[in-house]
Amino acid sequence: MEIKTERQNGTLIAKVEGRVDSANAREFENALSSAISDDDTYVIADFEGLSYISSSGLRVILLIAKTLRSRNAKFALCSLSGPIGEVFKISGFDKIISIYGSQAEALAG
Amino acid sequence: MAQAQFKILVVDDEPDLEHLVRQRMRRDVRAGRYLFAFAHNGIEALEILNEDPDIDMVLTDINMPQMDGLTLLEQIPKVDPNIRSVIVSAYGDMKNIRTAMNRGAFDFVTKPIDFQDLRITIDRTLHHMALWRDALASRDKLVALQNELHVASEMQQSILPTQFPDLPGCQVFGNMAPARAVGGDFFDIVNLEKGRIGLAIADVSDKGVPAALFMMSSRTLLKGTAIGDPNPGRVLTEVNDLLEQDNEAAMFVTMFYAVFDPATGKLVYANGGHNPPIIVRPDGSSTVPPQTDGIALGIMPDVDFTQNEITLSPGDILVLYTDGVTEAMNSRGEEFEMDRLRAVFAAAQWDDARRANQAVFDAVHAFAGETPQFDDITCLTLLYRGREP
Repeated sequence: MEIKTERQNGTLIAKVEGRVDSANAREFENALSSAISDDDTYVIADFEGLSYISSSGLRVILLIAKTLRSRNAKFALCSLSGPIGEVFKISGFDKIISIYGSQAEALAG
Repeated sequence: MAQAQFKILVVDDEPDLEHLVRQRMRRDVRAGRYLFAFAHNGIEALEILNEDPDIDMVLTDINMPQMDGLTLLEQIPKVDPNIRSVIVSAYGDMKNIRTAMNRGAFDFVTKPIDFQDLRITIDRTLHHMALWRDALASRDKLVALQNELHVASEMQQSILPTQFPDLPGCQVFGNMAPARAVGGDFFDIVNLEKGRIGLAIADVSDKGVPAALFMMSSRTLLKGTAIGDPNPGRVLTEVNDLLEQDNEAAMFVTMFYAVFDPATGKLVYANGGHNPPIIVRPDGSSTVPPQTDGIALGIMPDVDFTQNEITLSPGDILVLYTDGVTEAMNSRGEEFEMDRLRAVFAAAQWDDARRANQAVFDAVHAFAGETPQFDDITCLTLLYRGREP
C-alpha cells in the first residue's frame, strides 16, 4: 500500500495504491490522517490504483469521513474498480460517501 | 540510561574492596547512579541475591572461603538469569579468567583495581543490562499482545453456535475458518416463537480485542432484539441504533438477518450491508434474492432497514456467506468470486446441510492452495426439505 498526495486549489488528492487489508489498515489510517492537514476543505481519495480493500480499510475510510465531516470539510472517493465499487455498494457506504467515476468529476463535484 | 538506579553486589572476603568501593564510588552513589550491597563469600552473596530482587550486577572476587567466585558464577543464573557478573582476578591469571568467562561472567577486572577502568566496566555492563531489559520488556509486550489476540480469538469462537437445530423439514449448518490474525466474522441461529428460526451472518470491521468486543455486542443485541421481534427489518434498525451510540472508533458490522418458517418455507430477510445470500434450486441453478435497503450497522443512526419476503420450495438451499469466501485468493491473485460459489452447488446435489456447507470450504481451500488466508471464511447453509408428506 502506498499513498501519493498532491494539492490542487485547496483540494487534497490522495492516490491510494496496492492493497489495504487488516495487516496494514493501521498504517493506512496513519498515512492518510497525517497526509490531511487541518486547512484542507476538500479531500479526494483516488482509488484508481487500489487493488483490494478489506473491512478494516473501510473502517479507516469511515473514520476519515467522520473526522472531515465534523469540521465541515468535504470528502469523496473516485476511480473505484468494479470489485471495489461493489464492496462500497454492498456495504451501503456509497450512501454516505460521495463516489465519482473519475478524478476530474470529483474535482468538479 | 545513567538516570536509572542500578544495584551492584560486591563480593570479597577481604574488607579492603568494600572500603575502596565505598570511598572511590561515593560520588556515583550520591548522584544516585549506583547502589551497592556487600557480601564476604559466595554463600552470603547468594543469600543476599535471594532476598533482594533489585540487584542487577555482581562484582566478585575469585578466591574466597566457603564458596569461591567461580562456584558463585554457576549459582547466580539459578537465582536470576538476568543478573550480569564481573569478576575480580589477579593480574595475568588467565586460567581463572577463562573459567569465569566460560561460566558466564560478562567481563573481568584485575587487581590492583583501577577504579577508572572499574567504572567503565560497570557502565558497560549496566548499559548492556538496560538494553537487555528493553528487549525483555518488548518481548513481554509482544507476548501480551499475542495473549490479547488469543483472548479475541477465544471470544470469537465462544459465540459461534456449536449445536445446530434439527427441525422438522429443515437442516442448518454453519462454520467459520478463522484467518491467522483474529478476524471478525460470526454467525448465529436463534430459536423463535412458532417454530421459526432466525439466521444471521456478520462481518465486523477490523480485528483484535476492540473488534471482538464489538462483535460480542452485535451478537448479544441481535439475539435480544430478534427474540422480541419477528421482523428482520425492524430488528436490524434497532440493532443499528444501539450499536451506533458511543461508537467513537467507527467500527461497524455488516449483517444479513433472516427469519425462516419451516412450516411454510417463508423467508423474511433484511440486509445491513452484507454480501447477499444465494438460493440454490434443486436443479443446481442459483439466484440472489431481491435486495433490500440498508447499510452496514453502527455507522449512522435512524437508518430504515427494509425487509423482503420470499418462499423457499422443498429442496431449496439458502447459502449465507462472508466476503472471506468470495474474496479468497489463489496464487495468481484471482478471487474465488460468486461464480465459483455457485459452481459448488451446481456440481452436485446436496441432501445434507453439513456436507453442503463443508463443500464450500473444500472448494475455497482447493482454489486458494498455498496462498495465505487473509480473512475469516464463514458459511451458513439452510437446507429446506419441506413438510413431510
